[in-house]
Amino acid sequence: MDEKFEHGSLDLAHFIMNDIKFAQGENLLKCVQCGMCTSACPGAQHSDYNPRDMIEYILEGDNSIIESEDIWNCFYCYTCHSICPVGNSPCQANQVLKQIAIDEGIADEHLRPFLGFGDSFLNHGMGGIPQNFFKEMREDIGEDWWEFKNHLDDVRTQLGLGPVYPDDDSIEEISTILVKCGFKDRVEKIREIKDYEK
Amino acid sequence: MVSDNLKVGVFICKCGGNISDVIDIERVKESIDADVIEEYTNLCSINGRKIIRDKVIGDELDRVVIAACSTQSHLKTFQAYVQPLNPYLMDMANIREQCSWVHSTTDDDFNQKATDKVITLINASIGKVSKSEPVDPIVVQTPNSAAVVGGGISGMSAALSLGKQGIKTYLIEESPSIGGHMAKIGKVFSPVKIAEECGLCLLNPVLNDVVWNENIEVMTNSKVVKANRRAGSFNLLVETKPRYVDSEKCLSCGDCVDVCDKLIPNDWNDGLTNRKAIYKPFAQCYPDSYVIDIDNCDKCGDCKRECKMDAISFRRENEMIPLEVGSVILATGHKLFDPDLRPEYGYSRFKDVITQSELGRILGVNGPTKGKFQCLSNGEVPKNVVMIQCVGSRDDTPNGHKYCSKVCCMVALKNANIIKHKYPDTNIIICYTDIRTPGMFEKYYKHAQASGIRLVRGRPGEVGKKDGHLVVRVEDTVKREFKELDADMVVLSTAIEPSEGTNEIAKIFDVSQSEDNFIKEANPKIKPVTTDIQGAFVAGTAQDPKDITDSILQATASASKVSEIVSNGIEIEPFIADVDYEICDLCGECIEVCKYKSMSIEKDRIFIDPMSCSGCGNCIAKCDKNAISINGNIDEMIFSTIDGILKDKKPGEKRIIAFLDDIGYTAADNIGINRLSYPESIHIIKVISVNRVMPKHIIHALKTGADGIFIGEYPGDLLYDEIEHNMKKIRREIEMNNMNPERLAFSKVYIPYFSGLARKFIEFDSKIDEINDLAK
Repeated sequence: MDEKFEHGSLDLAHFIMNDIKFAQGENLLKCVQCGMCTSACPGAQHSDYNPRDMIEYILEGDNSIIESEDIWNCFYCYTCHSICPVGNSPCQANQVLKQIAIDEGIADEHLRPFLGFGDSFLNHGMGGIPQNFFKEMREDIGEDWWEFKNHLDDVRTQLGLGPVYPDDDSIEEISTILVKCGFKDRVEKIREIKDYEK
Repeated sequence: MVSDNLKVGVFICKCGGNISDVIDIERVKESIDADVIEEYTNLCSINGRKIIRDKVIGDELDRVVIAACSTQSHLKTFQAYVQPLNPYLMDMANIREQCSWVHSTTDDDFNQKATDKVITLINASIGKVSKSEPVDPIVVQTPNSAAVVGGGISGMSAALSLGKQGIKTYLIEESPSIGGHMAKIGKVFSPVKIAEECGLCLLNPVLNDVVWNENIEVMTNSKVVKANRRAGSFNLLVETKPRYVDSEKCLSCGDCVDVCDKLIPNDWNDGLTNRKAIYKPFAQCYPDSYVIDIDNCDKCGDCKRECKMDAISFRRENEMIPLEVGSVILATGHKLFDPDLRPEYGYSRFKDVITQSELGRILGVNGPTKGKFQCLSNGEVPKNVVMIQCVGSRDDTPNGHKYCSKVCCMVALKNANIIKHKYPDTNIIICYTDIRTPGMFEKYYKHAQASGIRLVRGRPGEVGKKDGHLVVRVEDTVKREFKELDADMVVLSTAIEPSEGTNEIAKIFDVSQSEDNFIKEANPKIKPVTTDIQGAFVAGTAQDPKDITDSILQATASASKVSEIVSNGIEIEPFIADVDYEICDLCGECIEVCKYKSMSIEKDRIFIDPMSCSGCGNCIAKCDKNAISINGNIDEMIFSTIDGILKDKKPGEKRIIAFLDDIGYTAADNIGINRLSYPESIHIIKVISVNRVMPKHIIHALKTGADGIFIGEYPGDLLYDEIEHNMKKIRREIEMNNMNPERLAFSKVYIPYFSGLARKFIEFDSKIDEINDLAK
């Protein structure tokens, strides 16, 4: 696939190191494949995702990792990042890989679960936890969280703070920007993908 | 430029092509003016010595210039080769590290610019030697005594070697007994034998030899609290804490222990057992007597009443003991990484997660379980043991150490072997990243594999509990398989790190520490036991992680270094301050201004400590009576070196002079050694201290054709701030002489940061181009 990265070279590694999402610099190259990341990775325990292996693909210059379905099982808990003995960050490298896949248009279906974030920007003018996560979060975190969430504005008023969301004019402005820059079109295009099953 | 009656010989070294591949030697020979000009492939060889010596004697040379490598590599060699000429009538032009190695060959011909530079550098050296005076190196005799700080295997070995060489030695140990970590190791691995040997059995003869050697005075419960370097000796202040038990009277009967009801975790068993407030560190300890841990004692007096020998007294004070010794050996050792800093391994959460050191105690016949191998939680023999390597080593995360602790692979294999031999039914897995068993240790590694020890290549992420037993979560990276290894006992191979004593002693003696806080050697490659303080040496794990054998090697090596000083004194470069007592009126201004604290009044005279005087010349400037001078005619030598560099300067040619002291000069050498490059216009002059480069020198150089002056100074030098401040004054003076003050550059230099120095040379060179363009 991608001609940008010559197969078998360090092109992909250097691309990741120079990406703003990756803050660990040349530590990426210092990986000794000890596997501590995979040992502690919740994604690895419940799927075929393997952060150590992913880094090895990058260092080998094997670009097929960009198309791998497995990399989408990382949800950025940052455990690998915090324990890596050489100061590498597999999860940040993972973010760059995903971005490459998204930019190449081969990952639209993986973006569907995140549509709620896009809607939140369009409808409320700011990022927030998408509604489709509420049910599970209510079960996981508990009723207190649900109570708190539903009465957030009351709490804020008591604390002398303004409402959480921007006012309607601001939302309108943000929405206009998002429409003009093509963000809305992109969201709608992803929504059209029918064959995505959770 | 050389006075008519001085005969100068120039010897050019080709360095087997290192120099002659880049430099046109023939053209150099044609271009310089000297009485004798010789070239040779390897001047530093025995044949080279013959060539130099024959010419010095046969042609009655008065001065010699050796155009070859850096003074760092062969100054002493050539000082010896020019004999019977005084060594300071010879100068080395550095045409390798600072010329042929930094200026590359052009396509097929020699590098002509670099060849010009060689001619210039040789002229500079001819200029310098024409003003040099014969001086003799100063030799400072030191007392025939030494202090060894730290009573572990390194300190004991060093002390023993010193004692046997007839050197009065004080062995200073902070804890109540000498012996160190080795006393509690139990079994030790040996490099050749595929067997484990009894550590204490190897240690005891050394300990006894130390105790019985009449030249060694063992000072336990003692620590160095102050140290001053003074001429050839160290003045130490040692604080000795009372034992509260008189070692002479104590019979070691142990009756006192029975009546003491305080329980304190026993260090010697890594806290796995308790001891009393009155205790003996271990059975074979020295001094062989009880001691009271006064911080944990409530002074009830029961032990005192019980003691039939009346050996106990609570009325004892700390004692301050001054010592004067010629040399010191720092052997203050290591401690182990705190496993709680890696909470994912659950050291404090799970009783059966232990360290290798604790396992060593459990396996030791003199340990808490009398050698019975068992889990701490239930006393049962573990069926499954998992060992985790690199805990705190090879670890870039906070609190971790980047280095490899060097011994843990062997320690883990050793303990695994001991278990496997006695308990063949116990399964042992070692989780590793790389097994490092260099040299003969490889045989031991194979032996461990043959015993049935399993190795999993992967660094565990977590130790947890599942269905009532421990699990180690690890990826088997070879099989690409996530595993949960069942374990009854998990053993952590914790890193070796500098002890608190090592950190303290480095500060007390003002010796440099590495980035990992170990005591730093003067040169890790070729001066492995010398510190950057003259007469202070380092041995054992105070310097870096190492095993017992390496510790003993370094200890005996450092003892040899002390012996060298005792036999021959310390030789010092003679370019230090000298006071004319006829003129001096003891006003003491020089003492105030000396940043190196080398001046004092002794017996109604200014005394200059030759060890600490750097020859910076600060005192000269301060002395109204002009009573102080510096040996060696330095001022004139700087002028004549400048003149040599600027001789025959062609129109349009650019010559920049860089003044560097020892540190800057070494950094410049490193540029060459690492084959980086900078412009040919840079000509380096080595000075004793950049403080000796006066405004008059700089103005003179600029007026007579220098395009720029670069001054480099190590920021750690005591004079740095002062010199930096002086630069402003000199720039104003340059301006008053109608020249661009930007032609003077001042920069920090560091030995390891040679690439930075190269970059600064390049930047300054192009800045001078701009200034020259403006001036047109």
